Amino acid sequence: MRNVVVALAVVFTVLLLAYATYLGALGPIPPNDLRELAKALLERSYRPWNPFNTSMCPEAVTAVVWDFRGLDTVFETVVFYGAIVATLALYRTTSRSLGLVGERLSLIVRYATLVSVPMILIVAAATALHGQLTPGGGFQGGAIAAVAPVVALVVFGRRKLLDLGVTYVKALIVRNLALVAIALTALGPLIAGIVLGIDAYVLQNQGKVGAPLSYPPWILDVPSGGSVILFNIFEALAVAAGFTLVFLTLALDEETARRELVGEDRGW
Amino acid sequence: MDAATLCLAMIGFASLLSVFATIMAVLDRDLLRAALFSALQSTLYAFLFYVLMAPDIVLVYVAVAVGIYPLLIVLLIKKVGRFEEVGR
Repeated sequence: MRNVVVALAVVFTVLLLAYATYLGALGPIPPNDLRELAKALLERSYRPWNPFNTSMCPEAVTAVVWDFRGLDTVFETVVFYGAIVATLALYRTTSRSLGLVGERLSLIVRYATLVSVPMILIVAAATALHGQLTPGGGFQGGAIAAVAPVVALVVFGRRKLLDLGVTYVKALIVRNLALVAIALTALGPLIAGIVLGIDAYVLQNQGKVGAPLSYPPWILDVPSGGSVILFNIFEALAVAAGFTLVFLTLALDEETARRELVGEDRGW
Repeated sequence: MDAATLCLAMIGFASLLSVFATIMAVLDRDLLRAALFSALQSTLYAFLFYVLMAPDIVLVYVAVAVGIYPLLIVLLIKKVGRFEEVGR
């Protein structure tokens, strides 16, 4: 009874706040006209008729994420990398031993998973590779792809996943290579600029005034977004491999995980 | 009822239901059920993001909040036990 009263009170408060917002307590939302910033972003995200200072990326959100605010996203990737390093550091050597957890689930669940796992991977690939054209992108694709090994881990058990070749070391290698590739994509124009003796920027996508180097803006007849498609692919790989690593580690049984940590709280 | 009003009504309904689901997730002593309530809240939020025209967020939110996060919580529940102990 008390819980219901609390729940109803919170719902009522939220309703009041929402109604106040709707009546205009936070000012008119959404604004009726397109603001200057939005206009500039829309104009510069895809402009094939004037290829300077553009991203060649019809999906404006991805253009902002990987080009206009590219440095933010690179640091975001580094934070994600650091978080996963921290998780893995807690478990260290245990991650490579063969501690197993759980039984595999029933036949029906296993076959349903067998059908859905490839579909999850296909959706993930489409989301990542279409990131410059339709909503989605590297992180989205990677997060979707990570669901596949995680579901397989729960349904088939850790042993089966390792037998299929999804191992700790392989995931680690994929993740690190993907991160190196992201760094190289960001630094690529600068390195080429130094070699060729012309000006270039870090995270440069299409040419700018005084810095003419460009990533190829088209793949056949489809806008590629230049560096955006490369960033999306590598980010998807890094995120998918990162999540897989964490879940492979977390699926260890408690005994194996704890054996390695004994005494560390006392500084051994 | 025109489309804009219907949209607002759907947003309102999903928001209120998500508040209810959140409260139930906090109060429930059966942790597995709490995880399910939390997943329900996430599903409603994904719907809200979609109606509010943020498909980029929907794509990552569905994968993380409806897929990876509940699975992580279920793995943890497996380790710590399903029921919260009372009076500690």
